Amino acid sequence: QSVSVQGNKRVDSDTIAAYFTGSDQAAVNKGVKDLYATGLFADVRVRREGNRVIVSVTENNIINRVAFEGNSKVKTESLQAEIQSKSRGPYSRATVDADIERIKDVYRRSGRAAATVTARTVDLPNGRLDVVFTVDEGEKTGIKTINFVGNVAYSSGKLRDIMQTTEMNFMSFLKTSDVYDPDKIASDLELIRRFYLKNGYADFHVVGSDAQFDPAQGGYVVTITVEEGAQYKVASVVVDSHLADVDGPSLLPLVRLAPGETYNGDMVEKSVDALTKEVARRGYAFSQVHPRGDRDPATRTVTIAFVIDEGPRVYIERIVVRGNTRTRDYVIRREFEVGEGDAYNRALIDRAERRLNNLGYFKKVRITNEPGSAPDRVIVVVDVEDQATGALSLSGGYSTSDGFIAEVSVTESNFMGRGQYVKLAVSEGQHARGVEFSFTEPYFLGNRMAAGFDLYAKKSDVSQYSFYSNFVTGGTLRLGLPITEEITFSPRYSIYNTDITVPNDSNHPYNDCTYPIWGVTPGFNGTTVNYWNNCLTNGEASLAIQQAQGNFLTSMVGYTLSYNTLDNNKSPTGGLYAELRQDVAGAGGDSHFVRTTGDLRYYHEIFDQIVGLVHLQGGDITALGSDQLRIVDNFNMGPSLVRGFAPNGIGPRDISSIGVSGNSSGNPLGGTKYFGASLEVQFPIFGLPRDLGLKGAIFTDAGTLFGYNGKTNFAGGGQCTYTDVAPTYTQGTCITVGANSSLIRTSAGASIIWASPLGPIRFDFAKAITKSPYDQTQFFRFTGGTTF
Amino acid sequence: CSSADSFNPLNLFSGEKYKTEIVPDVPADDLYNQGLARLQHKDYSGAAKKFADLDKQYPYSQWQRKGLLMTVFSQYQNASYDDAIASAKRYIGLYPTSPDIAYANYLEAMSYYNQIPDVSRDQERAAKAADLFAQIVEKYPKSEYAEDSRYKLQVARDQLAGKEMLVGRYYLNQHNYAAAINRFREVLAKYQTTRHAEEALMRLTEAYLALGITNEAQTAAAVLGHNFPDSIWYKDAYARLQSDGLEPHEDQGSWISKAFLHKMGLG
Amino acid sequence: CLGYNGQVVHGYQLDAKTIDQVKPGASAEQILVLLGTPTTTSTVGGDAWYYITQVTDRSLQFMQPKVIDQRVFAVYFTKAKKVDRVANYGMEDGKLFDFVSRTTPTAGAESTFLKGMFLNLLKFS
Repeated sequence: QSVSVQGNKRVDSDTIAAYFTGSDQAAVNKGVKDLYATGLFADVRVRREGNRVIVSVTENNIINRVAFEGNSKVKTESLQAEIQSKSRGPYSRATVDADIERIKDVYRRSGRAAATVTARTVDLPNGRLDVVFTVDEGEKTGIKTINFVGNVAYSSGKLRDIMQTTEMNFMSFLKTSDVYDPDKIASDLELIRRFYLKNGYADFHVVGSDAQFDPAQGGYVVTITVEEGAQYKVASVVVDSHLADVDGPSLLPLVRLAPGETYNGDMVEKSVDALTKEVARRGYAFSQVHPRGDRDPATRTVTIAFVIDEGPRVYIERIVVRGNTRTRDYVIRREFEVGEGDAYNRALIDRAERRLNNLGYFKKVRITNEPGSAPDRVIVVVDVEDQATGALSLSGGYSTSDGFIAEVSVTESNFMGRGQYVKLAVSEGQHARGVEFSFTEPYFLGNRMAAGFDLYAKKSDVSQYSFYSNFVTGGTLRLGLPITEEITFSPRYSIYNTDITVPNDSNHPYNDCTYPIWGVTPGFNGTTVNYWNNCLTNGEASLAIQQAQGNFLTSMVGYTLSYNTLDNNKSPTGGLYAELRQDVAGAGGDSHFVRTTGDLRYYHEIFDQIVGLVHLQGGDITALGSDQLRIVDNFNMGPSLVRGFAPNGIGPRDISSIGVSGNSSGNPLGGTKYFGASLEVQFPIFGLPRDLGLKGAIFTDAGTLFGYNGKTNFAGGGQCTYTDVAPTYTQGTCITVGANSSLIRTSAGASIIWASPLGPIRFDFAKAITKSPYDQTQFFRFTGGTTF
Repeated sequence: CSSADSFNPLNLFSGEKYKTEIVPDVPADDLYNQGLARLQHKDYSGAAKKFADLDKQYPYSQWQRKGLLMTVFSQYQNASYDDAIASAKRYIGLYPTSPDIAYANYLEAMSYYNQIPDVSRDQERAAKAADLFAQIVEKYPKSEYAEDSRYKLQVARDQLAGKEMLVGRYYLNQHNYAAAINRFREVLAKYQTTRHAEEALMRLTEAYLALGITNEAQTAAAVLGHNFPDSIWYKDAYARLQSDGLEPHEDQGSWISKAFLHKMGLG
Repeated sequence: CLGYNGQVVHGYQLDAKTIDQVKPGASAEQILVLLGTPTTTSTVGGDAWYYITQVTDRSLQFMQPKVIDQRVFAVYFTKAKKVDRVANYGMEDGKLFDFVSRTTPTAGAESTFLKGMFLNLLKFS
């Protein structure tokens, strides 16, 4: 039996023949069907002559090129990938129609449901044809409005703020969060449910959510109907243990809910977590804790029972880590407090998952169980997906003390997949430049102890706020020991060399009373010396600073004790951060002092989205032994203590030549004691969409810096001669110190905080209310750029 | 692909206009030769494109088979292993009976093999490479790639054993002897012919000693001495037992000697 | 003291009552039902089953947990899979020593310092 083929141009005859396995009718029909399935043939006809089968085919035209017109919002390549008709592939009307639907679907998904698509073919001389898809994209059809039905307790605006999906507004051309996407809406509904459960609405459930495309408004109208139910208070809490020798009531303190409080879904979850861990610790590794709420609609109270009962005795056979293409196996495995062979304990597994997520090395962490080799064995599978943890960041910034500053830094938080943190930063600014390298190993010698070291060199030049330049090079060895989840104790040893120089050249003649510069210092450039024109008027560093010039080494041992319960470190809305730092300089080196500083910030959400902040700070430095404190070691405070004052604008100052212009702000001497308190309220700026990330704040600050106890008589025991007195009008041998009292400086002001793509930027406007006559004020301050 | 990332709001002009433009047809053998030429000049990605065109333009022809195979080869040479794997899988699916099927399998296996990371990372590629090499050795024993596949299979399995040892040693240092013992058992059960078997036996001696089950420790050391008499690991195991006043003594009943005897054909 | 989160029982959850019910002559299946799958077994054929328990303690959260108690409950079987004898190994039986630090070398690309630092920078997405 032979098969002959006619009419084929491009496809081989034997390939077509291979489709006909026999000459009987069934085989022929199958052959014809298969040939059509290839999409290559417009028409297939079979004739049988005796046992010969003659197949005559007319091949489909071949597409020369597929082109698109009118698509601007969606690129041609992505459309090309979606459709079946390909250049040089066969043309068929059915495939083209299916392609039209596919293109429409692409546009619907990207928020342009109103797009229309038509296709046409253009015949070409060589028997080929082009397929052209013309697209009319139409208006963007995002979500016009989100309406809520049945929400009494909370305003629709409040609920909209919880959702990730947003409504269309003038920012729409930039953002995609207003595109209608059913799964995003579903996850939003979950967020809303959790919010209601957190605030006591135990009966809350979403009745339904539907989205109607309203051509008139050119967008979707999403209506979410909810049934809040009553807000429940906790009537009573009971721990009911079915385990032999674990008595329930003894575990009550672990429960985070108390009778009388409003019911809170999150706190129930946290209580279950704490109870499971405690019971596991007492040897009942397989126990399971189930919360049960019996609601009494009449009294709007709920009695919560935490039932503890014996779970199945299942052990972990193996912990398999998968997907770690960069992070090393032990960096993941060490986050598990449970090992292979241990009892399977859900709470510890969840804690490991939370810890792995907090590491920040992974895009995705998912822990699942697979059955083990025996019924009471389970294999824990940890699926991770590494993410690029290297960050090359360029940041610009302006701070009134350092001027404009640019910084290039390379940080790698998962160095070589070992979980180590490495950072190299170079900064260059108007008044300050520096380089810094730091390294941290989070698990030093197998303990959860973060050991690391920093090396740095920072040069700050002369500026209008200080008449000396300071070049600090040094290093620190540090350890971080978490005592509990909240308390961390970090001892450190640091050694650094400070080099103070008072410049004395033509554009910074700050030491020309002692070393006059020919042609610059008055009286040496042919001009006469008088009260208004002498070596002081071109700016002169205070005697105390001139005397402090030189190179000296500080070697000090210290520690930081920090307590942190902030709900999130970037922009906290609740919790307390307190820090006590203490350093003793004297282990070798030239300076001997004990410096103690304390800092406390307490955030509290006063009303929804309005956050109150109380910030207290204080510090003291006392010399050790007979040695005199160096002026550079003193505290020099400014806006960081009380906003509204210039850098180094607060505190003791050399006012011996205060009358002389250009000399007032340049000679801060610093103090040995400071205290500060600040009250601030942060609030979203109403009327502005949330996507801009703008927040406002009003604040009042109060603080003082005093206690300069350095030398004031530099006449080597001799009599003081006074400054700026005829005939030489030069610098005296003594200094008079102003503003050395513990006068409380206060200020009030407002600021705008913008979470810009570049990083948090803050504009502070503050008016000093009470100040010392010698303080330097500064109404506007701007700090920006990514803070490291 | 999800359209969200192709959504570029800044593309403001109204989109391209259609212009008729004839795309010239290149005969099949020209395309093939152009591909080979590029291979000579080591322009692997160019070659891969040419062969891919051949495969696309002349579907259902013997050119497609040749083109596809050469695509796999060019992609492999170009070290774009994931593409090579995809093309190889397509070739194996389309032409299971072709004379070059062994070569296609070999290229796919090698693509995984060249991506094997060090032991502290996910060894999924080592496992895949091992399976494919095992298939080649079993299905195409007479092909020219069988010998090299047997060797590469050994290396891949060695890598998998290395991973088990790494985790075993992690648990040993954590003093979780139960977990360590089970991991080293895994090495002896599955990867007995790899270089890690010796160390696994020595680690078992250490772990059993730390637990105090001396007879298992002695047996492990005895089997280690029996099968690898001059291995440095046996010297360590022997010295360790000595310092605790014990002798390597094979307790015939113990699982380790049983596992070794009938497997190594010495029993 | 501060931050004490103390003792954790690892491995087999020992239960004195069930342990006493293990009598010589019992069959392997009975032991399986009574005690569950052993932590590790000593023969392919299962002629000795070991149930290993460890208790670790740690006074401060950053320190490495130390093993303070270690018990192995061993069940030895006859060829006919009947319990032959039972043995207990305690903490005192365990030998304390440093493990050999040498490891069998393994292959695989070990990325260098620079590659480690910048390699994934290129994937800076």
